[in-house]
Amino acid sequence: MTARPSFIGAHTPRVEDDRLLTGGARFGADVSLPGMLEAAFYRSPLPHALIGGVDPSRTAELKGVAGVFTAEDMSDVSPFPDFDEHARPVEIFPLARGRVRYAGAPIAAVVAADRYEAEDAVDLLSVDLDPLPPVVSVEQALAPDAPRLYPDWPDNAVIEWPVSNPDAIAEFDRLEDGAFTVGGRYEIRRHTGAPIETRGVAAEFREGRLTVWTTTQFPHIARTMLSYCLPLDESDIRVVVPDVGGGFGVKAEFYVEEVTIPWLAMKLGRPVRWIEDRREHLIATCHARDLVLDLEAAVGPDGRFRAVRGMAIQDLGAAEMYPYGFSPTFTAVGHITGPYRIPHQSVGVLAAATNKTPNGAYRGFGIPEAAFGIERLMDKAADRLGLDRNEIRRRNLIGQEDIPYTTSAGAVVDSGSHRETFEETVRVAAERREHWRDRLAGDPRIRVGSGVVNYIEGVTPTYFMTTGHWTSFDSCSIRVNPDGTAVVSVGVSTSGQGLESMLTTLTAEALGVRRDQVRIVMGDTDRTPYGLGSWGSRSTNVASGALREAADALLGKAVRIAAHLLEASPEDIEVYDGSFEVRGSPGAAVTWRQVATAANIRTMDLPEGVKPGMEASASYDPPGIEHTPDEYGRVNAAATYTNASHAAVVSVDVGTGQVRVLEYIVAHDCGTVINPQIVRGQVVGGIAQGIGGALLEQLHYDEFGNPLSTSFLDYHLPTAAEIPPMAVLHFESPAPEMPWGAKGAGEAGIIGPAPAIAAGVEDALSEYGIAEITLTPITAPYLLGLLPSG
Amino acid sequence: MRPVPRPADRITVSMSVNGGPVERTVDSRRLLADFLREDLGLTGTHLGCEHGVCGACTLLVDGRPVRSCIMLAVQADGCEVTTVEGITPREGLNPIQQAFKDHHGLQCGFCTPGFLMTLTGAEPSEYPDDESIRELLAGNLCRCTGYEGIVEAVRAAWGRDEREGRRP
Repeated sequence: MTARPSFIGAHTPRVEDDRLLTGGARFGADVSLPGMLEAAFYRSPLPHALIGGVDPSRTAELKGVAGVFTAEDMSDVSPFPDFDEHARPVEIFPLARGRVRYAGAPIAAVVAADRYEAEDAVDLLSVDLDPLPPVVSVEQALAPDAPRLYPDWPDNAVIEWPVSNPDAIAEFDRLEDGAFTVGGRYEIRRHTGAPIETRGVAAEFREGRLTVWTTTQFPHIARTMLSYCLPLDESDIRVVVPDVGGGFGVKAEFYVEEVTIPWLAMKLGRPVRWIEDRREHLIATCHARDLVLDLEAAVGPDGRFRAVRGMAIQDLGAAEMYPYGFSPTFTAVGHITGPYRIPHQSVGVLAAATNKTPNGAYRGFGIPEAAFGIERLMDKAADRLGLDRNEIRRRNLIGQEDIPYTTSAGAVVDSGSHRETFEETVRVAAERREHWRDRLAGDPRIRVGSGVVNYIEGVTPTYFMTTGHWTSFDSCSIRVNPDGTAVVSVGVSTSGQGLESMLTTLTAEALGVRRDQVRIVMGDTDRTPYGLGSWGSRSTNVASGALREAADALLGKAVRIAAHLLEASPEDIEVYDGSFEVRGSPGAAVTWRQVATAANIRTMDLPEGVKPGMEASASYDPPGIEHTPDEYGRVNAAATYTNASHAAVVSVDVGTGQVRVLEYIVAHDCGTVINPQIVRGQVVGGIAQGIGGALLEQLHYDEFGNPLSTSFLDYHLPTAAEIPPMAVLHFESPAPEMPWGAKGAGEAGIIGPAPAIAAGVEDALSEYGIAEITLTPITAPYLLGLLPSG
Repeated sequence: MRPVPRPADRITVSMSVNGGPVERTVDSRRLLADFLREDLGLTGTHLGCEHGVCGACTLLVDGRPVRSCIMLAVQADGCEVTTVEGITPREGLNPIQQAFKDHHGLQCGFCTPGFLMTLTGAEPSEYPDDESIRELLAGNLCRCTGYEGIVEAVRAAWGRDEREGRRP
């Protein structure tokens, strides 16, 4: 029916940009309400302590203080419900009850006329804390005499999921014909998403209704959680998401402050706002990674991997985080074989509680960890065999003839260009390494190397294995107004990725309207249908599925109306650029405005059997997703799988140990590309974060559990000076089951940098025969420790 | 010698903000950023770290970029202050803003006003190549873009060869 140029894959400007460029956007800290008070938290200065009492008496000298509140005041609030059946139960209260388990845990909330005074009052609180011995590592946590974070548990293990897959183990028992094993402990240390906008919550309670503005990635889930915790019906709660200044997963957790601030607004009868400062962000917003992959592979004499076994061991922090912080570790296990034909795996999970900030989500969600493990193991096996590191990958990569390919973790890889992206990346990386070797040849301290790695990423996953509750669907509702403009409301919610632009393009494509006729509504539970928000690279897939079904219903109706108005047959109607034309009769046309006016206003113009109105809703649950694993952990937890190959060309200063990424090459395949500029931006931005994690970013603690990385002066984000130019090569293998063939692109870029840079550094230092790089961040001191001294 | 103002002292300041005169009485400890955002409603200036590191709160005082999260409102007494609202034309975008839009120099947009103000306060001739542009931009943190689109936007806004410093 549609005979017009497609918007899919075309360069179209982002509709969000103007308000963001002019100061016109409204972020969380820009929400201001009449009579609003501001809150600040007293956060535990100790990593592990019993709470004796909070004495607020000195705050009386401040005239603007409206109240000081502790857990005892919040007896009408329920703890977060705990849905997980496998992990030890953790009760999360909005303010710490009885005990604090990390430095940064909120003990008291102070409300005052403004933030200055609220912070003054926090300083005047006298809080009685009885210190307990801290637990600061997994080894310590699991020692038989370890202090316990949760006294009614027998030890500090939050979840243990041992896996013993006999098919995998058999490969280690019969190492014949020159087969051998390689193993290692691969460590991705603690870092975090660190969006430039911190978190913030504002709330107002009026006429029995609660409105909560919060910087979340999942407004409907936040509302449901609020209804579980507060004595309110879900319909009496409205969650509104302002413009969000970056999420990266850390805003896809439901935080205690998202209950406390609304409760304070209800208690005081005044609007209350809290804006997190950066120090709070670095100790009270979720941390991520901190995972050791203890892996062993059985490898044939030809370099083909036969099985992988081992354990994923996570330092989970205090475990008071929902959705669950151990979920990324299961995702790591689900991606442990990458895009390689490794028939069997037997990899278990162990996550232990420690007195650190609770872990949660960060872009990549376990897959960067998995890629670091398997790619390091590939390099090690190649070196053992004396085989080229690219050649061993060639021998293991899945090819077109293998697709659909079910991995040993149960992922059904439906499409991809695994070998194609790899060969192209190898070719470009080799050229660029030579270029840089020539260019830097004059400096005796500089060595140049490169590393090439691969991955697949399950996108649009089930949320059940992360929440124990929600699953995988989303929704869309479209209303065409009498003037022909379309209002599209969705359950997904943007934090800056460009979802408004993506949905505008797809609506124009699906309805035949102009892009400037489309308005997107998201992030408001009163105005959008129920959905699960934006995380897991899911929004393009789930929103487009729902959008297309709703749009198809409207378009079918609109075509019937247009045909009636034009006295033509519906089969002869074409829609383009906001108007309906009769094929072969130039000039015979009606506009979307005329059609929508007939539907909404002049209903006597409708054909017989067509009901008034121009509104449709649909939900979409991607096919093929499984929500629970089998006994060996196998599950197809995602709707589809992207693939990519990454190469880092790096220099190492052998005098200082400093690593620089000179150039980065990525060949990326996320199926059909809707907006090439946005996809490129997602990939490049993810790579920059991955470079940060590989070289710079670590949340340090001292031996007593005190956080040492509490500002951007000691938690180093990469700047423009550290991020290199990037070559992005696009491949398109459409997902056969997904609307428009698209696959989510939000997280992919962050997966490759750590193993690519580690391999590049080893390549650069090959003359020294250094020990294997087994951890990130690869800091200068770490590298100098590997180099021969002098 | 004047007495040292205590935090709660109220001090009257007058300054020019985006070309218009402003006179207000503020707490001596009030940050310039909070003064602009909360008292004048100019919320285009964002606070990302409040330690003077991330640069999101960058604006111009007498034409020079400053961090408004570590400057007091009273320190701007008698100064000319320019925020992102002040560089925005009545209709549309200015050339640097347009270049950011054309080259995908922003995603969430939270850090963007700070980058725009750093660039507005810079003298292009002092940054002749990509390396020096990246050094200039290194005072502002962006967590979304990987800086590529921002560097491209600066090249475009400053009339540089699009291929300069680019590799295949």
